[in-house]
Amino acid sequence: MLEAANIIKTFRTRGVESPALAGASLTVAPGEFVAIVGRSGSGKTTFLNILSTLLTPDSGQLRYKGEDITALPPAALNRLRREDFAMVFQFHYLLPCLTARENVLLPFLHSLAPVSAEVRRRADACLDRVGLGGKGDKLPGHLSGGEQQRVAIARALVKRSAVLFADEPTGNLDRTTGESVMDLLADLGNDGLSVVMVTHDEAHAARAHRTVHMADGVMA
Amino acid sequence: MNILVIPLRNLRMKWARSLLLLLVFTLGVASIVALNLVSGVVGESLERKLVAYGANILVMPRTEKLTVSYGGFSMGDMLLGASDLDEARTMERIAAIHHGSRVSAIAPKLVSMARVDGTAVGVIGVRWEREMAIKGYWAVDGEFPAREDGVLAGSRAAASLGLVPGDTLSLGSRTAVVTGVLRPTGGDDDSVLFTGMDFAQAAFGRPGRADYVEVAALCAGCPIEEIVDQIAEALPGAEVQALQSVVRQRMYSVDFVQRLILSVSLIILLIACAMVGATMLSSVNERIREIGLLRSLGFSRPGVFAIFCFEAVVLGAAAGCLGYVAGHALSLRVIGALDITEGATLAFSAAGLALTCLLIVAVSVLSAFFPAWKASSVEPSEALISL
Repeated sequence: MLEAANIIKTFRTRGVESPALAGASLTVAPGEFVAIVGRSGSGKTTFLNILSTLLTPDSGQLRYKGEDITALPPAALNRLRREDFAMVFQFHYLLPCLTARENVLLPFLHSLAPVSAEVRRRADACLDRVGLGGKGDKLPGHLSGGEQQRVAIARALVKRSAVLFADEPTGNLDRTTGESVMDLLADLGNDGLSVVMVTHDEAHAARAHRTVHMADGVMA
Repeated sequence: MNILVIPLRNLRMKWARSLLLLLVFTLGVASIVALNLVSGVVGESLERKLVAYGANILVMPRTEKLTVSYGGFSMGDMLLGASDLDEARTMERIAAIHHGSRVSAIAPKLVSMARVDGTAVGVIGVRWEREMAIKGYWAVDGEFPAREDGVLAGSRAAASLGLVPGDTLSLGSRTAVVTGVLRPTGGDDDSVLFTGMDFAQAAFGRPGRADYVEVAALCAGCPIEEIVDQIAEALPGAEVQALQSVVRQRMYSVDFVQRLILSVSLIILLIACAMVGATMLSSVNERIREIGLLRSLGFSRPGVFAIFCFEAVVLGAAAGCLGYVAGHALSLRVIGALDITEGATLAFSAAGLALTCLLIVAVSVLSAFFPAWKASSVEPSEALISL
């Protein structure tokens, strides 16, 4: 379903080159939950950002459903991010001016077309699923860190995407809250959604169907 | 619910910032509106007062000049065509032109020659009230003629003819009485005698006729050429000329006031725009992660651009409406306080309100253009990965 082959990425800041990926490769099957584990600086977040099209590789190939998506035009890239890919970040990145429900609906607020009643119902169902039923009208500032991350997960779920990318989704949460978020992600994997998660926590990685280790920008 | 909910909620959430920005922008718009409304009224009032210093359009009979000579003998210049105008018809038609409201005074003249004690002198028949409307600088020793046979003598003419108030003299077939002597004006008025139009027409046997008509038109609202064209159209047998030097002099004074106010308005507008631009730019920097998130969710660049522009549209529309109403109210107070605008009125214009709103929205969006463009150029990777 998603295939990255020999991805190379080097960051350049003021003439200084910092190699991040030196030929990383990965294949994710439909409904597979893959955890990418590695130390800080191993290149796992850069790799995840390239997989999710947030970052362009210097070389290598990224294929999704058999199509090369390495150099898609901006409009096609936006459509892919909008419809097929979903992201959960270490920080929840909720818009503070929108309620929890509106934040969940955010992927559908990209145009002047109004959000349908069906999508609203789906948003409420997603909030219920992450245990936030009844808190849809609250602003992010009135929710705990764990609840905010759940809203972010609900936002990823509402699109019914094919692949969910999660970058240290529990990194900013306490142990108990982190566990409940992991339960959610594991459930999603079991529901047929492909999940690619970056973590440095081996225990959380053990919940995935497959764990991949990264070191120095390549798969260990 | 659609994309517009994001800028609207953002404005509401940051209400203190939004309110402050709105206040500054509204004050700017109110100042500009008030300055422009007041300048319009002051300009027109100023021009009305300047009318007292002379006419700016001359209406004469259309004639052709022919220099005749035959057999080596020159008979001089001969005029072909109508030699005078029908006074009542001419005045009526001038008053009825499309820009009739811009015509401030119509002063007909009948020019004749007379001999007083053997000395030739020009006699000008005038309508006193109309003449005095365009000769506000006249000052008289004695009195302005109140009687039909009254004569006002120019200073040089009075000196050469030895006339003083109370003297009687023969003009054409009638006897007239000098009621006053004009103080020196430095112009043609000093060398002639002025009488009432009816008296001159009767004395010189030309009832209902006028040789030319001076017109004082207000040029601030429309170009003088338009008024000239309309008078020419209304009077096919007449030649109509704009006295360009008078027009230019008068418009210079009016334009100076209006240019000064326009400059001040532009400075205020620039400051307001800079405020909006700077605030939007700081908002973009502050919300860089939000923008990164939106881009990662598949929002297009135009979509992000629209979010920031719409905030500017809302601010601009609100500031435009509030500013126009406040500016109108302010200008009413200012006009009431100014002596120069005595009697001036200012009607509330819905079209003015709509135009101001549109203009301010455009200016506001223009101010937010760079910040919005900057926001739309943010790559999600740059905004989110940097953390």
